Amino acid sequence: MKNSLFSKRLTGTVAVLGTAALLVTGCTRADVGGSTSTATASPGITDTSLSLGISSPLSGPTAGPGSCSVAGLDSYLEAKNATGGFEFGDGKTRKVTLTHLDDAYDPAKALSNFKQLVNDGIFAYVGALGTPTNAAIMPVANQEKVPQVLLVTGATAFSSDQKANPWTMGLLPTYYDEGHTFGALLAGAGKPLTVAVLAQNDDYGTDYVKGLTDAIAGSPVKIVDKATYEPTDTTLDGQVTQLAASKADVLMSAVSVTPLQVGVLTKAQSLGWLPRIFLPSNTATPATILKPGNAGAYPAVYSTSLSKVPASPAFANDADVKAYNAAFAAYGSKIASVYTPHCAWSYAEGAILEQAFKGMKAPTRASFMEALKSIKGFHAPMLLSTAVVDTTKSDQPAISGLALVAYNGTGYAPVSKY
Amino acid sequence: MKIFLARPAVRIAIAAAFMVLFVVAPLVSTPFLNYQFSMIAVFAVALLGLNVVMGYAGQVSLGQSAFLGLGAYIAAYGVSHDWPISVVFVLSCVIPAAVGMLVALAAARLRGLALAMVTISLPIIGVPLAKRFPEFTGGSQGTTVSWLNAPGWSGLADDQWRYYVVFVIAAVLFVLGRNLVRGRIGRAFAIVKSNEAVALSMGISPYRYKVLAFTIASLFGGAAGFLYVAIVQYTSPETLSFATSINLVAAMVIGGSASILGTILGAAYYIVVPVLAGQVDSTRTALISGALLLAVLFLLPHGLVSLPRRIVQLVNGIRRRGRSTVIDPPGDNTARGTAVEPESQEQTQ
Repeated sequence: MKNSLFSKRLTGTVAVLGTAALLVTGCTRADVGGSTSTATASPGITDTSLSLGISSPLSGPTAGPGSCSVAGLDSYLEAKNATGGFEFGDGKTRKVTLTHLDDAYDPAKALSNFKQLVNDGIFAYVGALGTPTNAAIMPVANQEKVPQVLLVTGATAFSSDQKANPWTMGLLPTYYDEGHTFGALLAGAGKPLTVAVLAQNDDYGTDYVKGLTDAIAGSPVKIVDKATYEPTDTTLDGQVTQLAASKADVLMSAVSVTPLQVGVLTKAQSLGWLPRIFLPSNTATPATILKPGNAGAYPAVYSTSLSKVPASPAFANDADVKAYNAAFAAYGSKIASVYTPHCAWSYAEGAILEQAFKGMKAPTRASFMEALKSIKGFHAPMLLSTAVVDTTKSDQPAISGLALVAYNGTGYAPVSKY
Repeated sequence: MKIFLARPAVRIAIAAAFMVLFVVAPLVSTPFLNYQFSMIAVFAVALLGLNVVMGYAGQVSLGQSAFLGLGAYIAAYGVSHDWPISVVFVLSCVIPAAVGMLVALAAARLRGLALAMVTISLPIIGVPLAKRFPEFTGGSQGTTVSWLNAPGWSGLADDQWRYYVVFVIAAVLFVLGRNLVRGRIGRAFAIVKSNEAVALSMGISPYRYKVLAFTIASLFGGAAGFLYVAIVQYTSPETLSFATSINLVAAMVIGGSASILGTILGAAYYIVVPVLAGQVDSTRTALISGALLLAVLFLLPHGLVSLPRRIVQLVNGIRRRGRSTVIDPPGDNTARGTAVEPESQEQTQ
């Protein structure tokens, strides 16, 4: 009985597989939209509209920056649409829409979202936040020749080889650049300085340290002690105590976790060690890091900055900031409730896209990439005057020119000398 | 209805219909949909492993993502070093299984919360470890691979070819898993789950079977990791994050604990709900997913797999109210969905 049942099932399976084989040979899918000839328009663009897509973490621990990476861009696009639309290089005016999806910082979900957006017919994938999520998408985007550009990440991988990945480009200066900018400040002091380094124990931390090391090479500045930490650590007191024993003049605290960075600031002063401190741009906010960490006790606290801070009184009368605040209140605030610098960056990204649209001679993705990669010397709104957009270098992200800033008790002010 | 469904011919016909559906579907759907189908198959395998250890053997495991990630890293490493694919597949299964067994040899002496703590530690240790050895794992940026492209003779697109590869492997693993939980070992699991003292008195060593359950779960986890790399073509520390483990446990409970069909439904839930939530409002996906999870748990405490039974119950209830004199037949209202009654599970499949 059992055997006959088994043989019946086997026969059934064989029959199904046979039918399947016939079907497979008979009906394979026709090539869908694979050709990118210059004569016909690419998907997602008509004479009056263009659709963009983005997948960022809108839920989970990185939801704040992720939401801002959508909100700033959407604010710029919608504000411009409200005035009639974007002018394109082919003489037409188009409204640009942005479809946003949530990937919760999961690479598999990000890839799924990318496929969904491409399936829905987006023209380009822009401004997505996250290193692993974008890394998963990069090979697919380049294979399918879909622009994956102006990515909000500090990793070098997306911009360093644009010849190998011609459809991918990052937006922001890298972590390496931050470390390098700070190292250049120390080297410029022209005197022997001792530096203690605290960095995250992974490739992010390595990038910071490498930037610093490269910048101080050949100068009298020396790294006298190093310590690392894990993002999952609950306290860095041990590391700070170890570094304090070096009595270094300068501490580079490349800590990316907010409570840990506050802990570093409080612990060092409790040990009576008061070095000059460098903080990375993502953990340098006065309200959440410097005030709780009593940063005023230190002789100087440096960081790097890229954009104007909309809430800062220093920029209250700035035309960019006014336009940004109005656009954000009208559109972006529906997506992001809390400000992070990513809101300002992605707003500037909208202006970079506008430049690319102006240079687009044909309604194709290839023409868009060509136009995007020939922007030079452009000052985007919301960026500090030191920051310049230059997309012509094939191994650099779009924005360069980090400004060094120092804490003055309430906010940051530009600084050029040690 | 039940008798009709229990007939071998009918069941073969239903299975054949599904087979045809699974075989034809990728030919007519978009690359996006094929990706979703394939991911359901990938996570169904991971959930099957989790179901073996949690659903059938009744042991808490919050570390399944660590084995998924380990299998994925081994697959990515092997593929990028041009190892033969069969060797890569075997290693992706065997190494996680060996690691799982080693952990279980120590952990299976514990039970309840202590065991849960040990399994939680796996993804928590795994993520920094993966970041620490960039020469093997690619660090935080992960490892990208390009493989399993459709051979020219097949006339298929890459996504279709990968779907078939993943689907065939997943189907074989499911047949193996089903036979395992229906057979001698499955019965032993059920006794270990319900009462360890009784198991001991029957000559079944709870310790051995717990270790076995963990080993099998890690093997399936590793295999799922291999399939993950086949579809996503990428892996990173995010794959083995603790959140993935928790989501897998939730998906298993939602699909139906100790049920093969429930495992597949759970995987479908795991993949489809975030997509649907994104369609409704992409800034509120967590909220929508959470609300759906609560709704399923309230309405279908035995998981999605109990939906047909629940509908029958409701229909009967309405009928009964119509003819209040008729005494309801026993049987439908008893709690099901546990491994102790494998026969009742048969009927839902």
